[in-house]
Amino acid sequence: MTTAHLRGRDELAHVVRTAVSGVLGIEPEEVDDATDLHDDYGIDSLELMEVGARLEKALAMKIPVSDLTSAHSVGHAIDLLAERLAARS
Amino acid sequence: MSTDARTRPDRERVAVTGLGIKCPAGNGVEDAYGALLAARSTASAVKHLAEAELRVTIACLVPEFDVEPYVSRRERRQIDRAAELLLCAASDAVADAGAPALAALPPERVGVQIGTGLGGLAAMEGNTFDHGADPMAMPVHTVPRTMANSPASRVALRFGLRGACTTYATACASGTTAVGEAARRIRYGELDAAVAGGVDTPVTTIVMAAFAKMRALSARNDEPDRASRPFDTDRDGFVMGEGAAVLVLERRDLALARGARIYGEVAGYATNCDGAHIVAPHEDGALAAECMRGAIGDAGLAPSDVGHINAHGTSTLLNDRAEARAVERVFAGAAPPLTAFKGVTGHLIGGSGALEAALALLCAGRGVVPAVANTLGSPEADLVDVVIGRSRAIESGRPVLSNSFGFGGQNACVVLVPGPGARGTGNG
Repeated sequence: MTTAHLRGRDELAHVVRTAVSGVLGIEPEEVDDATDLHDDYGIDSLELMEVGARLEKALAMKIPVSDLTSAHSVGHAIDLLAERLAARS
Repeated sequence: MSTDARTRPDRERVAVTGLGIKCPAGNGVEDAYGALLAARSTASAVKHLAEAELRVTIACLVPEFDVEPYVSRRERRQIDRAAELLLCAASDAVADAGAPALAALPPERVGVQIGTGLGGLAAMEGNTFDHGADPMAMPVHTVPRTMANSPASRVALRFGLRGACTTYATACASGTTAVGEAARRIRYGELDAAVAGGVDTPVTTIVMAAFAKMRALSARNDEPDRASRPFDTDRDGFVMGEGAAVLVLERRDLALARGARIYGEVAGYATNCDGAHIVAPHEDGALAAECMRGAIGDAGLAPSDVGHINAHGTSTLLNDRAEARAVERVFAGAAPPLTAFKGVTGHLIGGSGALEAALALLCAGRGVVPAVANTLGSPEADLVDVVIGRSRAIESGRPVLSNSFGFGGQNACVVLVPGPGARGTGNG
């Protein structure tokens, strides 16, 4: 998969929701921009790293751990990722 | 038998108050007990073993069941099959014992004691197949998923248990080791209760191939349900099984005080090692006999008190012969009836000892010694009283000796004394 298909925020959001829901064992529709992985799901550090690993694979890019840990919501994470992708292109 | 022999000032008595089983003979205690009485093997052809063209393509598998009520989808992605089966069996056992009563104990006084022969080997095998070409693509949870103590630790974190959480590896004896060591920790005051048991899930291509290379497994691929035949004249090896069994053990005085159902007691335990060969049992069974004597003596009993023997009985030529010789050494021509569940269940490696302890306790309480599945006649009949053909009625309530012997020369024996809770309802 190349990032060319993922320029739109909706597409990026879909990738993130898929990664998050896969790790948490929930449906992608249950994850939205407002979802807080810590408060809503008590996500632990390993699960967060697994989300990161899945995103790195899907987006074919390196994602700094700080992007994962600093995001305070899924929407925030998507914005951070969008910035990374934009900076790269 | 003197009941007083079990009451000593220097030790607590250890009650069995909960049972949980996920094994080829059934996913409930009474289902598995019924399958044992029917003495029908659960072995069948396994597709992925045949596809890999292994020499051995049969095994005993846990019947499919709904895992969702036990383990969330989220957690399932982070644990292997062994941890999953153990969590399910432990949940059943804790519920059976009474989850609120266990939760009311100080958490640091409740431990988890689990035996496993393979640990996470089977899961790591899967990882190697899936990610060998690109190792850095493996899941982040690979280490916690495959570490040998994962099943035990998962139980501790599920129930918030803070006492000793230990994983024992004594190969095929691991489950018995775990039950015996758990009993010791309660007996000598370290714990008030323990979730004790064993698990293994060895029916994977590489693990099965490895055992097949040793010629340890029966090669009766064309008649799987006739393959496991402990002590039989024509036995040709064991049949691999998978599964988990868990017993909740409690200080007997506390269990009595709360009115718990008492299946019985873990009254005696002993363990030693042949120290002779890495896999073959000592031919004359001297150390295995010493271990049996030790367990019987530890229970304050004499061999003549034992009502029946639950043999390790793997269906290999060497094990069954050595075990029969060991029994003869201990019981000197007066051995009580002997049965071996592996004819029905196959060999669950680390799961077997716990499974057999749990079900042998029911047999002892109900006064029934199931016939060994498939076994028609035994060359060891002059040494031991193998129950053949149909189950044997014995005086109920008498102690049972349950043996486990593992690769590495590992010997572990427990003596269980049934209580009122082992009788159940309608099972005679």
